[in-house]
Amino acid sequence: MRMFRGLGAMLYKEFISVMRDPMTLFFMLFPPIIEMIAFGYALDNDVKHMGMIVYDQARTVESRELVDRFVNTETFRVVGYVSSTAEMASEIRKGHAYVGIQIPPDFSRNLRAGRSAQVQLAIDGSNSTTALQALNTGLAVTLSDSVFRLLRESGRASIPIDMRPQMLYNPAMKSPNFFIPGVIGIVLQISTTFATAMAVVRERERGTLEQLLVSPLSRWGLMLGKLVPYLCLGLAMATFLVGTMRFLFHVPIAGSLTALIFSTVVYLFVLLSVGLLISTRAQNQMQALQMTMTLILPSVFFSGFIFPRETMPWIFYAVGSVLPTTYFINLIRAIILRGAVFSEFWPSLAVLVAMAFGLFSLCALRFKSKIE
Amino acid sequence: MAEKMIECVGLTKRFGNFTAVDHVNFSVERGAIFGFLGPNGSGKSTVIRMLCGILQPTEGTARIGGRDVVEETDELKDSIGYMSQKFSLYDELTVDENLIFYGKLYGLRRGALRKRYDELVALTHLEPYLKRRAALLSGGWRQRLAMACALMHEPRVLFLDEPTAGIDPVARRELWDLLFEFSGRGMTLFVTTHYMDEAERCTNVGYIYLSKLIVCGVPDELKLMPEVNPPGTRRLDVTCEHVTAGLQALRHRKGIETATIFGQSMHLLVENTVAETEIRGYLAEVGIRDADIRPISPSLEDVFVALTAKHGGGTGEEGGAK
Repeated sequence: MRMFRGLGAMLYKEFISVMRDPMTLFFMLFPPIIEMIAFGYALDNDVKHMGMIVYDQARTVESRELVDRFVNTETFRVVGYVSSTAEMASEIRKGHAYVGIQIPPDFSRNLRAGRSAQVQLAIDGSNSTTALQALNTGLAVTLSDSVFRLLRESGRASIPIDMRPQMLYNPAMKSPNFFIPGVIGIVLQISTTFATAMAVVRERERGTLEQLLVSPLSRWGLMLGKLVPYLCLGLAMATFLVGTMRFLFHVPIAGSLTALIFSTVVYLFVLLSVGLLISTRAQNQMQALQMTMTLILPSVFFSGFIFPRETMPWIFYAVGSVLPTTYFINLIRAIILRGAVFSEFWPSLAVLVAMAFGLFSLCALRFKSKIE
Repeated sequence: MAEKMIECVGLTKRFGNFTAVDHVNFSVERGAIFGFLGPNGSGKSTVIRMLCGILQPTEGTARIGGRDVVEETDELKDSIGYMSQKFSLYDELTVDENLIFYGKLYGLRRGALRKRYDELVALTHLEPYLKRRAALLSGGWRQRLAMACALMHEPRVLFLDEPTAGIDPVARRELWDLLFEFSGRGMTLFVTTHYMDEAERCTNVGYIYLSKLIVCGVPDELKLMPEVNPPGTRRLDVTCEHVTAGLQALRHRKGIETATIFGQSMHLLVENTVAETEIRGYLAEVGIRDADIRPISPSLEDVFVALTAKHGGGTGEEGGAK
């Protein structure tokens, strides 16, 4: 084992160092949990109980029924009644309500007479996500109401096309289920890359690296000795995150736990190698910090974590293809949400394994056993 | 003739346009204590780093125990020990963990490691501090620990880069006692220092100035060099009160080549034509009456001052004890 000479000594020292460094432990384990909880709740795209302001000029049974139908979707809740269009607009501008519904005085009269009864729905379009959902829900409510009225008039028993949606995976369509596995990928990346990026730089700054270079420690032994303790720490962190996902956010794990663990180990290995690669170049902790941040930021945007990669301009899509986080997020979503099996998810895993070997070899080879 | 442990031929290191070490030649015999002196930035640490195989020489060769430091770096690593200027220890590890780490690093097996550990702990008197974190040790104890760590694998050559910088005098004395003991056991020591009293204890010294090794040899032989003892001159020690006033009185007098203060006395280099009574006369002018004047042989410091002056130096902090 000449190739890994000194590895045992490095592991001995590094495990002690890691355990004696409460600050690093704290920053590795605590922020990820907070980040996960924050991301998990903040990235909830399901809009419920949007404020709705009502300007009911008709004041009839039918107009009240219509408002009730809106409320029954759980998308809207009535936040107040007004008596002019100006007031309605003002409430929306003030941010008290997202939508305003205006029912004209002739609503019931037209309805009963079989004429088209008009309803105005004013929507705050500044947030496109909520606006879209308000629009869709409003359309659905009024359309189905219209269809049922037509059915009653025509005497038909059923509607011409009856679509029955079946939601595969994530049947409740909860957006935390979609986001949280991705959050695990992002959050793991931040603290692990940083930990190893600092590891060699710290030795350089303290002057102990010189002492190690004089010794027969091999570069592979040095690199693996730095990596393994943080790999263990990263796994502990991952376990904690998956536990939070499962029991706090109630996201079920559809696929195999073994596949999940294996993918996480490979992913962590890639991240730690990236950190090591940084530390072989950075001269001080400040440089290491900046390099790490430069690498982490793109992964938040281009890995498909929030925005689907398929709709990105080609350049951003290309950036995403070289990020390990992209493949891990693919993997973890496939395993956790869709219960994918090996024959279905192996391409992403293969890319990660290749990255792990490639990056680790690169940093061992790029590491200079001389000082300059 | 004893076996040569360290041998440098034309060893040179350039950093861009700056030549840090310029064609240095010297050799150190097995069991010697080689004192490597020179002002800060003169290239001492650079030479050590090249000899330890962590810095690539630009030119020239260096061999340790007959092995080339560039070609056979890996083979050499087991036979050299290095104690850097900063006593590079792992602060978060305890004293005994530091020792165990260095033992393991050099591939010592359990039994051998334990034996060597006990030996070094006994030798350095570290027992009371074994469970203490290295960060909490004082300078002297850090230095002992650093040395014990560098010795775990029983190197044949030990390099010490300013091992006594910032250490109290008692710890300094004790460290030298240890060095003599190792030297007696056949270990070769290469020590850089600023202290002249330490240099006097070495079996051999080298003095590097402005990247060039300007002198190298046995201290007693160096003191006999003609550059140090110009023909027709002698060295005198003048002990009196008010040495600073005395120095003013003696400087720039005809026949007095140099005059420097050494604690409570002055060291003079005077021409043989200048009689003792003449010196007493100059001192009487500033009211010094009871001066004690006696001939002395040059110290190593005199040697280095003389040689530095010859090589175009003479200003700055070089050549003097701290």
